[in-house]
Amino acid sequence: MSRSTIPEDSRLLVHAYLDGELDPANALAVEQRMAADPALAAEGERVAALQQLLRERLPREAAPPGLRARIEASVGMRRARPQPSWRALAASVVLAAALASGSTWLALAPEQGDAVRDGVIAAHIRSLMAPQRVDIASSDQHTVKPWFNGRIAQAPRVVDLANADFPLVGGRLDVIGRTPVPTLVYRHRQHFITLTAVPAAGRANSAPEAGTADGYNLLHWTADGVLYWAISDVAAADLEKFAGLFRTGQPEP
Amino acid sequence: MTVASIGANRPVVGRNRRSGDHLQVVARRISRQGDGKDMARGDDDNTRFADVVLPHLGDAFALARWITGNRADAEDVVQDACLRAFRAIDGFAHGNARAWVLTIVRNTAYTWLGKNRPTVVVAVDDLEAAETAQAIPGDPNAETPETALIAQTESARLEAAIARLPNPFRETLILRDVQGLDYREIAQVTGVPIGTVMSRLARGRGRLIAELGRKD
Repeated sequence: MSRSTIPEDSRLLVHAYLDGELDPANALAVEQRMAADPALAAEGERVAALQQLLRERLPREAAPPGLRARIEASVGMRRARPQPSWRALAASVVLAAALASGSTWLALAPEQGDAVRDGVIAAHIRSLMAPQRVDIASSDQHTVKPWFNGRIAQAPRVVDLANADFPLVGGRLDVIGRTPVPTLVYRHRQHFITLTAVPAAGRANSAPEAGTADGYNLLHWTADGVLYWAISDVAAADLEKFAGLFRTGQPEP
Repeated sequence: MTVASIGANRPVVGRNRRSGDHLQVVARRISRQGDGKDMARGDDDNTRFADVVLPHLGDAFALARWITGNRADAEDVVQDACLRAFRAIDGFAHGNARAWVLTIVRNTAYTWLGKNRPTVVVAVDDLEAAETAQAIPGDPNAETPETALIAQTESARLEAAIARLPNPFRETLILRDVQGLDYREIAQVTGVPIGTVMSRLARGRGRLIAELGRKD
Protein backbone atom coordinates (compact mmCIF):
# COMPACT_ATOMS: atom_id res chain seq x y z
CA MET A 1 0.00 0.00 0.00
CA SER A 2 1.37 3.39 -0.80
CA ARG A 3 0.58 6.80 0.54
CA SER A 4 -0.77 7.83 -2.80
CA THR A 5 -3.79 5.58 -2.23
CA ILE A 6 -5.11 8.04 0.35
CA PRO A 7 -7.57 10.39 -1.32
CA GLU A 8 -6.23 13.93 -1.29
CA ASP A 9 -9.21 15.27 0.67
CA SER A 10 -8.77 12.72 3.45
CA ARG A 11 -5.07 13.40 3.69
CA LEU A 12 -5.64 17.13 4.07
CA LEU A 13 -8.24 16.50 6.77
CA VAL A 14 -5.79 14.38 8.76
CA HIS A 15 -3.27 17.23 8.60
CA ALA A 16 -5.95 19.76 9.55
CA TYR A 17 -6.97 17.53 12.46
CA LEU A 18 -3.39 17.43 13.77
CA ASP A 19 -3.13 21.19 13.31
CA GLY A 20 -6.20 21.74 15.51
CA GLU A 21 -8.08 23.36 12.65
CA LEU A 22 -11.25 21.25 12.84
CA ASP A 23 -14.30 21.96 14.92
CA PRO A 24 -15.17 19.23 17.45
CA ALA A 25 -17.69 17.44 15.20
CA ASN A 26 -15.30 17.23 12.26
CA ALA A 27 -12.40 16.30 14.52
CA LEU A 28 -14.42 13.39 15.85
CA ALA A 29 -15.29 12.29 12.32
CA VAL A 30 -11.62 12.30 11.34
CA GLU A 31 -10.69 10.34 14.47
CA GLN A 32 -13.24 7.72 13.52
CA ARG A 33 -11.95 7.53 9.98
CA MET A 34 -8.38 7.16 11.20
CA ALA A 35 -9.45 4.39 13.55
CA ALA A 36 -11.08 2.54 10.67
CA ASP A 37 -8.42 3.10 8.02
CA PRO A 38 -4.81 2.03 8.73
CA ALA A 39 -3.48 4.11 5.84
CA LEU A 40 -4.98 7.26 7.32
CA ALA A 41 -3.75 6.33 10.80
CA ALA A 42 -0.23 5.81 9.43
CA GLU A 43 -0.32 9.21 7.74
CA GLY A 44 -1.37 10.75 11.04
CA GLU A 45 1.53 9.08 12.84
CA ARG A 46 4.06 10.22 10.28
CA VAL A 47 2.86 13.81 10.42
CA ALA A 48 2.79 13.81 14.22
CA ALA A 49 6.34 12.39 14.28
CA LEU A 50 7.49 15.12 11.90
CA GLN A 51 5.83 17.85 13.94
CA GLN A 52 7.48 16.59 17.09
CA LEU A 53 10.84 16.46 15.33
CA LEU A 54 10.45 20.06 14.14
CA ARG A 55 9.55 21.19 17.64
CA GLU A 56 12.36 19.41 19.40
CA ARG A 57 15.27 19.32 17.04
CA LEU A 58 15.10 22.24 14.66
CA PRO A 59 17.56 24.86 15.91
CA ARG A 60 15.97 28.25 16.60
CA GLU A 61 17.84 31.14 15.17
CA ALA A 62 17.56 34.41 16.99
CA ALA A 63 17.85 37.72 15.18
CA PRO A 64 21.38 39.16 15.23
CA PRO A 65 21.94 41.27 18.35
CA GLY A 66 22.43 44.61 16.59
CA LEU A 67 19.52 44.27 14.18
CA ARG A 68 16.93 45.93 16.33
CA ALA A 69 19.11 48.95 17.00
CA ARG A 70 19.90 49.32 13.29
CA ILE A 71 16.21 49.18 12.42
CA GLU A 72 15.32 51.72 15.08
CA ALA A 73 18.00 54.01 13.69
CA SER A 74 16.83 53.55 10.12
CA VAL A 75 13.31 54.68 10.96
CA GLY A 76 14.57 57.57 13.07
CA MET A 77 13.73 56.20 16.50
CA ARG A 78 17.22 56.40 17.88
CA ARG A 79 17.28 60.12 18.40
CA ALA A 80 16.63 61.21 21.95
CA ARG A 81 12.97 60.68 22.61
CA PRO A 82 11.27 63.82 23.86
CA GLN A 83 10.40 63.82 27.52
CA PRO A 84 6.69 63.45 28.08
CA SER A 85 5.15 66.81 28.78
CA TRP A 86 3.78 67.53 32.25
CA ARG A 87 0.30 67.58 30.73
CA ALA A 88 0.64 64.03 29.46
CA LEU A 89 1.98 62.92 32.80
CA ALA A 90 -0.82 64.66 34.61
CA ALA A 91 -3.37 63.02 32.33
CA SER A 92 -1.87 59.60 33.03
CA VAL A 93 -2.02 60.16 36.73
CA VAL A 94 -5.62 61.35 36.60
CA LEU A 95 -6.64 58.40 34.47
CA ALA A 96 -4.77 55.88 36.57
CA ALA A 97 -6.38 57.35 39.67
CA ALA A 98 -9.78 57.13 38.03
CA LEU A 99 -9.23 53.52 37.09
CA ALA A 100 -7.93 52.64 40.49
CA SER A 101 -10.41 54.53 42.62
CA GLY A 102 -11.22 52.05 45.33
CA SER A 103 -8.58 49.40 45.76
CA THR A 104 -11.05 46.61 45.13
CA TRP A 105 -12.17 47.82 41.74
CA LEU A 106 -10.86 44.71 40.09
CA ALA A 107 -13.01 42.51 42.25
CA LEU A 108 -16.10 44.65 42.37
CA ALA A 109 -16.43 45.84 38.86
CA PRO A 110 -16.19 43.15 36.24
CA GLU A 111 -17.26 45.69 33.63
CA GLN A 112 -13.81 47.19 34.12
CA GLY A 113 -12.65 44.04 32.32
CA ASP A 114 -11.50 46.08 29.37
CA ALA A 115 -8.97 47.94 31.47
CA VAL A 116 -7.63 44.67 32.83
CA ARG A 117 -7.53 43.25 29.33
CA ASP A 118 -5.63 46.24 28.00
CA GLY A 119 -3.25 46.07 30.94
CA VAL A 120 -2.59 42.40 30.25
CA ILE A 121 -1.97 43.05 26.56
CA ALA A 122 0.34 45.96 27.30
CA ALA A 123 2.31 43.90 29.83
CA HIS A 124 2.64 41.03 27.36
CA ILE A 125 3.91 43.28 24.56
CA ARG A 126 6.30 45.02 26.91
CA SER A 127 7.67 41.69 28.07
CA LEU A 128 8.31 40.58 24.48
CA MET A 129 10.46 43.64 23.96
CA ALA A 130 12.20 43.63 27.32
CA PRO A 131 15.62 42.01 27.64
CA GLN A 132 14.18 39.93 30.46
CA ARG A 133 10.69 38.50 30.22
CA VAL A 134 10.46 37.33 33.79
CA ASP A 135 11.65 38.47 37.19
CA ILE A 136 12.24 34.93 38.34
CA ALA A 137 13.41 32.61 35.59
CA SER A 138 12.88 28.96 36.36
CA SER A 139 11.15 25.99 34.84
CA ASP A 140 10.62 24.63 38.32
CA GLN A 141 7.23 25.40 39.81
CA HIS A 142 8.70 24.89 43.28
CA THR A 143 11.04 27.81 42.64
CA VAL A 144 8.55 30.10 40.95
CA LYS A 145 5.67 29.86 43.38
CA PRO A 146 7.64 30.65 46.56
CA TRP A 147 9.17 33.67 44.83
CA PHE A 148 5.75 35.31 44.85
CA ASN A 149 5.30 34.71 48.57
CA GLY A 150 6.13 37.87 50.44
CA ARG A 151 5.77 39.99 47.32
CA ILE A 152 2.03 39.70 46.99
CA ALA A 153 -0.78 38.56 49.26
CA GLN A 154 -1.44 35.31 47.48
CA ALA A 155 0.95 33.32 45.33
CA PRO A 156 -0.68 32.12 42.11
CA ARG A 157 -1.52 28.59 41.20
CA VAL A 158 1.42 27.12 39.25
CA VAL A 159 0.98 24.00 37.15
CA ASP A 160 3.76 22.00 35.53
CA LEU A 161 2.84 21.52 31.86
CA ALA A 162 6.29 20.71 30.50
CA ASN A 163 5.17 17.25 29.41
CA ALA A 164 2.49 18.78 27.21
CA ASP A 165 5.07 21.02 25.49
CA PHE A 166 4.22 24.06 27.57
CA PRO A 167 7.32 24.41 29.76
CA LEU A 168 7.32 27.06 32.45
CA VAL A 169 9.69 29.94 31.77
CA GLY A 170 9.23 31.84 35.01
CA GLY A 171 7.17 34.48 36.73
CA ARG A 172 6.98 38.21 37.23
CA LEU A 173 4.83 40.87 38.81
CA ASP A 174 2.78 43.08 36.53
CA VAL A 175 0.98 46.16 37.74
CA ILE A 176 -2.55 46.52 36.41
CA GLY A 177 -4.25 49.71 37.46
CA ARG A 178 -2.45 50.03 40.78
CA THR A 179 -2.64 46.40 41.75
CA PRO A 180 0.45 44.18 41.52
CA VAL A 181 -0.65 40.88 40.02
CA PRO A 182 1.28 37.65 39.54
CA THR A 183 2.07 36.64 35.98
CA LEU A 184 3.40 33.30 34.82
CA VAL A 185 5.19 32.86 31.53
CA TYR A 186 5.03 29.58 29.67
CA ARG A 187 6.61 28.67 26.38
CA HIS A 188 5.18 26.75 23.44
CA ARG A 189 7.68 26.07 20.67
CA GLN A 190 9.47 29.40 20.56
CA HIS A 191 6.41 31.41 21.53
CA PHE A 192 5.52 32.76 24.91
CA ILE A 193 2.25 32.52 26.72
CA THR A 194 1.61 35.11 29.39
CA LEU A 195 -0.84 34.04 32.09
CA THR A 196 -1.89 36.74 34.51
CA ALA A 197 -3.85 35.88 37.63
CA VAL A 198 -5.95 38.86 38.76
CA PRO A 199 -7.51 38.57 42.22
CA ALA A 200 -11.28 38.78 41.76
CA ALA A 201 -12.89 37.62 44.98
CA GLY A 202 -16.61 37.19 44.61
CA ARG A 203 -16.53 36.80 40.87
CA ALA A 204 -18.44 33.76 39.68
CA ASN A 205 -16.52 31.00 37.96
CA SER A 206 -16.68 31.24 34.20
CA ALA A 207 -15.54 29.13 31.28
CA PRO A 208 -12.76 30.37 28.98
CA GLU A 209 -13.84 33.05 26.55
CA ALA A 210 -11.71 33.72 23.50
CA GLY A 211 -10.86 36.95 21.79
CA THR A 212 -8.17 38.57 19.71
CA ALA A 213 -6.39 41.89 19.94
CA ASP A 214 -3.56 43.24 17.85
CA GLY A 215 -2.82 39.82 16.45
CA TYR A 216 -2.64 38.13 19.82
CA ASN A 217 -5.02 35.44 20.90
CA LEU A 218 -6.59 35.97 24.28
CA LEU A 219 -8.52 33.77 26.67
CA HIS A 220 -9.97 34.66 30.01
CA TRP A 221 -11.77 32.68 32.61
CA THR A 222 -12.53 32.85 36.31
CA ALA A 223 -11.82 30.09 38.79
CA ASP A 224 -11.93 30.20 42.58
CA GLY A 225 -11.95 33.98 42.86
CA VAL A 226 -9.13 34.49 40.38
CA LEU A 227 -9.60 36.05 36.95
CA TYR A 228 -7.09 34.48 34.56
CA TRP A 229 -5.98 36.17 31.36
CA ALA A 230 -3.90 34.19 28.90
CA ILE A 231 -2.36 35.98 25.93
CA SER A 232 -0.03 34.74 23.24
CA ASP A 233 0.67 34.66 19.54
CA VAL A 234 0.37 30.87 19.43
CA ALA A 235 -2.61 29.67 17.38
CA ALA A 236 -6.00 29.96 19.07
CA ALA A 237 -6.30 26.18 19.27
CA ASP A 238 -2.94 25.89 21.06
CA LEU A 239 -3.93 28.57 23.54
CA GLU A 240 -7.20 26.77 24.22
CA LYS A 241 -5.27 23.58 24.77
CA PHE A 242 -2.98 25.38 27.18
CA ALA A 243 -5.92 26.85 29.12
CA GLY A 244 -7.61 23.45 29.27
CA LEU A 245 -4.45 21.81 30.63
CA PHE A 246 -3.84 24.60 33.12
CA ARG A 247 -7.39 24.47 34.43
CA THR A 248 -7.46 20.72 34.87
CA GLY A 249 -3.81 20.30 35.80
CA GLN A 250 -2.71 19.52 39.30
CA PRO A 251 -0.81 22.28 41.06
CA GLU A 252 2.08 21.20 43.23
CA PRO A 253 1.19 20.10 46.72
CA MET B 1 -17.36 16.86 5.32
CA THR B 2 -15.44 19.15 3.06
CA VAL B 3 -12.35 21.21 3.44
CA ALA B 4 -14.60 24.25 3.39
CA SER B 5 -15.61 23.52 6.97
CA ILE B 6 -12.10 24.15 8.16
CA GLY B 7 -11.57 27.23 10.20
CA ALA B 8 -15.25 27.42 11.07
CA ASN B 9 -14.50 27.22 14.76
CA ARG B 10 -11.76 29.82 14.82
CA PRO B 11 -12.19 33.36 16.01
CA VAL B 12 -12.06 35.73 13.08
CA VAL B 13 -8.58 37.10 13.33
CA GLY B 14 -8.24 40.83 13.25
CA ARG B 15 -11.92 41.59 13.36
CA ASN B 16 -11.97 42.70 16.96
CA ARG B 17 -10.97 46.26 17.27
CA ARG B 18 -8.99 46.75 20.38
CA SER B 19 -11.08 48.74 22.74
CA GLY B 20 -8.38 51.30 23.32
CA ASP B 21 -5.20 51.69 25.21
CA HIS B 22 -6.65 54.52 27.23
CA LEU B 23 -3.53 55.84 28.82
CA GLN B 24 -1.61 56.03 25.59
CA VAL B 25 -4.44 57.54 23.64
CA VAL B 26 -5.06 60.26 26.18
CA ALA B 27 -1.38 60.96 26.64
CA ARG B 28 -0.86 61.21 22.90
CA ARG B 29 -3.82 63.49 22.38
CA ILE B 30 -2.58 65.85 25.02
CA SER B 31 1.01 65.83 23.87
CA ARG B 32 -0.27 66.84 20.43
CA GLN B 33 -1.79 69.96 21.85
CA GLY B 34 1.48 70.90 23.45
CA ASP B 35 4.01 70.09 20.73
CA GLY B 36 4.18 70.99 17.08
CA LYS B 37 1.85 68.90 14.95
CA ASP B 38 4.56 67.23 12.85
CA MET B 39 6.49 66.27 15.90
CA ALA B 40 3.45 64.62 17.43
CA ARG B 41 2.74 62.68 14.26
CA GLY B 42 6.33 61.44 14.04
CA ASP B 43 6.19 60.23 17.62
CA ASP B 44 2.87 58.63 16.93
CA ASP B 45 4.32 56.60 14.06
CA ASN B 46 7.30 55.62 16.17
CA THR B 47 5.05 54.45 18.95
CA ARG B 48 2.90 52.49 16.53
CA PHE B 49 5.98 50.98 14.92
CA ALA B 50 7.34 49.98 18.31
CA ASP B 51 3.98 48.43 19.28
CA VAL B 52 3.13 46.72 16.01
CA VAL B 53 6.39 45.73 14.32
CA LEU B 54 9.20 45.41 16.85
CA PRO B 55 7.61 42.64 18.96
CA HIS B 56 7.68 40.40 15.88
CA LEU B 57 11.27 41.00 14.85
CA GLY B 58 12.33 37.50 15.87
CA ASP B 59 9.67 35.82 13.75
CA ALA B 60 10.39 38.24 10.91
CA PHE B 61 14.06 37.35 10.93
CA ALA B 62 13.40 33.61 11.16
CA LEU B 63 11.01 33.71 8.18
CA ALA B 64 13.43 35.81 6.11
CA ARG B 65 16.23 33.45 7.02
CA TRP B 66 14.25 30.43 5.82
CA ILE B 67 13.21 32.12 2.59
CA THR B 68 16.61 33.53 1.68
CA GLY B 69 18.67 30.67 3.08
CA ASN B 70 21.22 32.70 5.01
CA ARG B 71 21.49 35.16 7.85
CA ALA B 72 23.15 38.02 6.02
CA ASP B 73 20.51 38.15 3.28
CA ALA B 74 17.81 37.76 5.93
CA GLU B 75 19.12 40.81 7.75
CA ASP B 76 18.96 42.91 4.58
CA VAL B 77 15.44 41.69 3.93
CA VAL B 78 14.23 42.44 7.46
CA GLN B 79 15.70 45.93 7.36
CA ASP B 80 14.01 46.62 4.01
CA ALA B 81 10.76 45.15 5.27
CA CYS B 82 10.83 47.26 8.44
CA LEU B 83 11.26 50.42 6.41
CA ARG B 84 8.28 49.43 4.29
CA ALA B 85 6.28 48.63 7.40
CA PHE B 86 7.20 51.96 8.94
CA ARG B 87 6.03 53.86 5.87
CA ALA B 88 2.80 51.87 5.80
CA ILE B 89 2.14 51.95 9.53
CA ASP B 90 -0.69 54.47 9.15
CA GLY B 91 -2.56 51.97 7.00
CA PHE B 92 -2.39 49.21 9.58
CA ALA B 93 -5.77 49.18 11.27
CA HIS B 94 -5.64 47.21 14.52
CA GLY B 95 -5.64 43.79 12.91
CA ASN B 96 -3.31 40.87 13.28
CA ALA B 97 0.04 42.60 13.72
CA ARG B 98 2.17 39.49 13.40
CA ALA B 99 0.49 38.35 10.18
CA TRP B 100 0.76 41.88 8.82
CA VAL B 101 4.48 42.08 9.58
CA LEU B 102 5.18 38.61 8.22
CA THR B 103 3.26 39.44 5.02
CA ILE B 104 5.51 42.42 4.43
CA VAL B 105 8.62 40.41 5.26
CA ARG B 106 7.64 37.64 2.89
CA ASN B 107 6.85 39.96 -0.01
CA THR B 108 10.02 41.94 0.60
CA ALA B 109 12.03 38.72 0.64
CA TYR B 110 10.79 37.64 -2.78
CA THR B 111 11.33 41.09 -4.27
CA TRP B 112 14.80 41.13 -2.77
CA LEU B 113 15.60 37.65 -4.08
CA GLY B 114 14.32 38.51 -7.54
CA LYS B 115 16.63 41.49 -7.62
CA ASN B 116 19.71 40.04 -5.94
CA ARG B 117 19.48 36.25 -6.29
CA PRO B 118 17.41 35.71 -9.43
CA THR B 119 18.27 31.99 -9.68
CA VAL B 120 16.62 31.13 -6.38
CA VAL B 121 13.06 32.03 -7.27
CA VAL B 122 11.06 29.21 -8.84
CA ALA B 123 7.76 29.61 -10.65
CA VAL B 124 5.12 28.27 -8.29
CA ASP B 125 2.56 27.15 -10.85
CA ASP B 126 4.91 24.77 -12.66
CA LEU B 127 6.05 23.38 -9.39
CA GLU B 128 2.58 22.55 -8.13
CA ALA B 129 1.59 20.97 -11.42
CA ALA B 130 4.67 18.75 -11.27
CA GLU B 131 4.06 17.88 -7.64
CA THR B 132 0.45 16.87 -8.19
CA ALA B 133 1.45 14.43 -10.89
CA GLN B 134 4.11 12.86 -8.72
CA ALA B 135 2.91 10.39 -6.11
CA ILE B 136 5.08 10.03 -3.06
CA PRO B 137 5.88 6.39 -2.40
CA GLY B 138 5.70 5.06 1.11
CA ASP B 139 6.01 1.57 2.49
CA PRO B 140 4.30 0.91 5.81
CA ASN B 141 5.61 -2.68 5.75
CA ALA B 142 9.27 -1.72 5.74
CA GLU B 143 11.30 -3.25 8.54
CA THR B 144 11.99 -0.04 10.44
CA PRO B 145 8.82 2.01 10.67
CA GLU B 146 9.13 5.40 9.03
CA THR B 147 8.03 7.13 12.20
CA ALA B 148 11.02 5.70 14.07
CA LEU B 149 13.41 6.84 11.34
CA ILE B 150 11.84 10.30 11.35
CA ALA B 151 12.21 10.54 15.11
CA GLN B 152 15.94 9.75 14.87
CA THR B 153 16.71 12.52 12.41
CA GLU B 154 19.64 14.74 13.38
CA SER B 155 19.23 18.51 13.48
CA ALA B 156 21.59 19.19 10.61
CA ARG B 157 19.88 16.70 8.33
CA LEU B 158 16.47 18.09 9.20
CA GLU B 159 17.61 21.62 8.48
CA ALA B 160 19.12 20.61 5.15
CA ALA B 161 15.96 18.75 4.13
CA ILE B 162 13.82 21.82 4.89
CA ALA B 163 16.26 24.05 3.02
CA ARG B 164 15.84 21.82 -0.05
CA LEU B 165 12.06 22.25 -0.11
CA PRO B 166 10.79 24.55 -2.83
CA ASN B 167 9.96 27.96 -1.38
CA PRO B 168 6.13 27.73 -1.46
CA PHE B 169 6.22 24.49 0.54
CA ARG B 170 9.00 25.63 2.83
CA GLU B 171 7.41 28.95 3.80
CA THR B 172 4.06 27.27 4.49
CA LEU B 173 5.69 24.59 6.64
CA ILE B 174 7.78 27.14 8.57
CA LEU B 175 4.79 29.41 9.19
CA ARG B 176 2.75 26.49 10.53
CA ASP B 177 5.11 24.04 12.20
CA VAL B 178 7.78 26.43 13.41
CA GLN B 179 6.04 29.76 13.89
CA GLY B 180 2.66 28.31 14.87
CA LEU B 181 0.37 30.38 12.62
CA ASP B 182 -3.03 28.90 11.88
CA TYR B 183 -4.26 28.21 8.35
CA ARG B 184 -6.13 31.45 8.05
CA GLU B 185 -3.12 33.52 9.06
CA ILE B 186 -0.89 31.59 6.65
CA ALA B 187 -3.39 32.26 3.86
CA GLN B 188 -3.17 35.95 4.69
CA VAL B 189 0.63 36.02 4.80
CA THR B 190 1.19 34.01 1.62
CA GLY B 191 -1.76 35.52 -0.27
CA VAL B 192 -3.35 32.23 -1.32
CA PRO B 193 -6.65 30.53 -0.43
CA ILE B 194 -6.80 28.23 2.62
CA GLY B 195 -7.17 25.21 0.32
CA THR B 196 -3.81 26.04 -1.26
CA VAL B 197 -2.24 26.46 2.16
CA MET B 198 -3.47 23.00 3.08
CA SER B 199 -2.20 21.29 -0.03
CA ARG B 200 1.19 23.05 0.18
CA LEU B 201 1.53 22.09 3.81
CA ALA B 202 0.66 18.46 3.06
CA ARG B 203 3.11 18.37 0.16
CA GLY B 204 5.90 20.01 2.11
CA ARG B 205 5.41 17.59 4.97
CA GLY B 206 5.08 14.69 2.55
CA ARG B 207 8.45 15.51 0.99
CA LEU B 208 10.16 15.74 4.36
CA ILE B 209 8.56 12.51 5.53
CA ALA B 210 9.62 10.73 2.34
CA GLU B 211 13.18 11.94 2.72
CA LEU B 212 13.63 11.55 6.47
CA GLY B 213 11.72 8.29 6.71
CA ARG B 214 14.08 6.60 4.25
CA LYS B 215 17.09 4.58 5.29
CA ASP B 216 20.34 5.57 3.67
